[in-house]
Amino acid sequence: MTLLSVLGVLSSAIFSGTSLLYTTLGEIIDQRSGIVNLGLEGVMLVSASSGFAVTAITDNPYLGVLVSILAGALMNMILGFLVISRRANQLASGLALMFFGFGLSAWIGRSYVGAKINGLPRISLPGLSNLPVLYSSLFNFDLLIYLVIPAAILVWWLLFHTRWGLGLRAVGENADTAYASGRNPLRIRYQALFVGGLLVGLGAAHLSIAYTMNWTEYMTAGRGFIAVALVIFSKWNPLRAIVGALLFSGAVAFQLLLQSSGIQISPFLLDTIPYILTILVLIAWGGTPKHSAPASLGRVYQGTE
Amino acid sequence: MKSKFFQSMLAITVISLLLLTACAKTETPTEAPTEPTSPPPTEEEACLIIGALHGGPINDAGYNQAMHESVMAIKENIPCVEIIEAENVPEEAGATTTMENMIQQGAGMIIATAFNHQYPALELSQKYPDVIFEHAGGWEMGENFANFFGEPPDAWYIMGVAAGKMTETNKLGFVAAFPLGWTLTFANAFHLGAASVNPDVETTVTFTFSWGDSAKEADATNSLINQGVDVITMHVDSPTTIISTAESRAVYSIGFQSLHAQEFAPEYWISGTGYTLGDTLTWLASTVIDGTWEPIFLRCSLFDGCMAMAPFGPRVPQEVQDEVLAVSADIENGTIVVFAGPILDQDGNVVVAEGEVLTDDLMNSVDWFVEGIIGSPK
Repeated sequence: MTLLSVLGVLSSAIFSGTSLLYTTLGEIIDQRSGIVNLGLEGVMLVSASSGFAVTAITDNPYLGVLVSILAGALMNMILGFLVISRRANQLASGLALMFFGFGLSAWIGRSYVGAKINGLPRISLPGLSNLPVLYSSLFNFDLLIYLVIPAAILVWWLLFHTRWGLGLRAVGENADTAYASGRNPLRIRYQALFVGGLLVGLGAAHLSIAYTMNWTEYMTAGRGFIAVALVIFSKWNPLRAIVGALLFSGAVAFQLLLQSSGIQISPFLLDTIPYILTILVLIAWGGTPKHSAPASLGRVYQGTE
Repeated sequence: MKSKFFQSMLAITVISLLLLTACAKTETPTEAPTEPTSPPPTEEEACLIIGALHGGPINDAGYNQAMHESVMAIKENIPCVEIIEAENVPEEAGATTTMENMIQQGAGMIIATAFNHQYPALELSQKYPDVIFEHAGGWEMGENFANFFGEPPDAWYIMGVAAGKMTETNKLGFVAAFPLGWTLTFANAFHLGAASVNPDVETTVTFTFSWGDSAKEADATNSLINQGVDVITMHVDSPTTIISTAESRAVYSIGFQSLHAQEFAPEYWISGTGYTLGDTLTWLASTVIDGTWEPIFLRCSLFDGCMAMAPFGPRVPQEVQDEVLAVSADIENGTIVVFAGPILDQDGNVVVAEGEVLTDDLMNSVDWFVEGIIGSPK
C-alpha cells in the first residue's frame, strides 16, 4: 500500500462521509427534541432528486443546493404535521414519509436520470496546486465539505450553549416539564424538524450534486438508515458524529482498498465492517443511562389543551 | 424502558426489511402499461404492435437507454409498427402483468430486455402461442420464444487493447457491480486485450455489489485511482458517475452499454462500446410481420452492427487508434480469437487448454480471473 492509497482512504472517507455527517446532524436535532425521523431515507431522496433536477435545468449547482435544503425542510414539515399536530405514531409516520419519498423522488427525478450536470465546483487549497494532480485532486474539496465540520460545531453550540438548544433538549427529555417551565413543545419540535430537514437536505445535495453528479432512483442505498445508526453511535452528540461518519465511510473506503490490493478476503465479508462496528458500539454502551437516548424520544406529546 | 425496547426491535426489523427490499429496487409506477402513451391503435392502422419492457429507466445513458433506442429504431424503419413501451419494471411479477397488459392491447410481439424477465416471458409464451417473444441475452428457446444479443467479449478485448496502449502506470481499473459470470468474462477479455499489447499491465477489479449505488461507484473509482490506476472502465447499469469521477481526477475512461457515455468525459475519454441492436430488431419484426419468423438463437457481433465503438477521445494518438482498428479487423477476419487457449487463471491453473476455445455457453458460468487481474472473482 502506497502513501497515495492511505491518503486515498482518508480522502474517500471525507468525500463520502460528508453527506452522512450532514444527515446525521439533522437527525440528532430531530431526536434531541424527541422525534425519531425514520423517514430520513425518503427525505434525502426527495432532496437529492429535486436539487439535481434544478441543477440540470438551471445549470446552477448553488441553486440546486438551495432547493435541496428547502425540499429537506419541507419533507420534515410533513412529518411534523403528522407527529406534532396530528399526534400520530412517530415510527409509522416516519415509514410512511419514507415510502412517500421513494415514489416522489422517482417521479421528480425521472426525466433527469442520465442527465449531465456541472457539479458543485471544487475549490483547491493554496499550496496544494503545486502537487501532482493525482495528489491534489485527493483534497480538492467542494464548499459543502469545507463547511461540514463547522456545521457540526455550530449544531453542538446551538444544542448545548444556547437557550434555544436548552429548550429543545428539555422538550426531548420531558415535554410536560418543559411546558410547565414556559416552553412551547409544539413550536420547538417544529423548529427542530425544520432545522434538521435543512441539514438533511445539505447532505442529500452533497450526494447528488457534488459527489456523484448523478441521479439514480434509490441512490441513497441505505445512507438514511446508516445516519439513524450513527445518531446512536455518536450518543446524540454532534461532535462525536464527526468521528462516526468518518469511521463509517472510512470503513467502506478501506474495504474497497483491500479489494483492489488483491487481498483475498471475501468482499461480502468486508462490506459488513461498518455494521460490525455499529454492533460493537451498541454492545459496549448498551443501555447504560449515561449513553441513553433523550427520555421522551418517540413519545407523542399530548399537549395540555 | 419496555416500550423503548419494542420500538428499537420494530425499527431494526423495519430497517432490515427495507435494506432487503432496497436490494431489489423499488418499482415505480411510471408509465403503467395500462395507460398507453398513444391512443389505442386499431388493427387497420398498425401492421404489428410491439410491446417492449425494460428493467430500468430508458434515459440512463447505459444499458436501458441502448435497448430503448434499439427498439425505437424498429418504428423508424417500419413506420406502420406501433410500440408500447414500459420502463422501470425490475421484478418478475411486474414483468408478467406488464406483458399480459401489452398482449391485451394487441401486442403481437414482445421484446423483454431485462436479464430476469426471461422466465416470465417464457411462461407467457406458452400461454399465448400466437405472440412472438424475444428476450435480450437469454438462453431458453421455444416455439414462439427466442433470444437475441450482441457479443460483448470481442468488443471488450478491443477496448483492452486501447487501454493497454494508453496507460502510463500499467494499471487498469474495472468497477463492476457483482461477480457474475458475464462480468468476469468481460473483465477477462478486457485484460487479455490489454496484455496482448502491453505485457506489464495489471487490471484491478473492484465490486460495488449494487447495480446502481452511485456513491459507492464514486468511492470505488477513487479507490482505484489512488492505487495508481490511470484507465477506468466499468460494468454497472449507468456509467455516468464512474466516468464523471474519472474525468474530475484527470484519469482516462472507457465506456460500456450505451454510446452516450462519452458525453461525461469530454477530455479523458478513450473509447467505449455500446449495444446497437436496431437493425437486428427491425429484421426480427419484419419477419414477424410477413409471417416468416422462426425461433433462432441470435448472437451478432461488433462486426454485424449489433454493437458499435464510440469515437476516440481527443487525447488518443493516431497510432493507437490505428492499432486498435487493426486488432478489430483481425478479430473480424478470425486471426485473433479472444478466448483461445492456453489461458491461465490467477493461480496459474489452465482454464482453457491449448487448442481449445472458451465457448459462448461457458462464458456465463466463468468463475475465474485470468492471470494478471487483481481482485477476487467470488
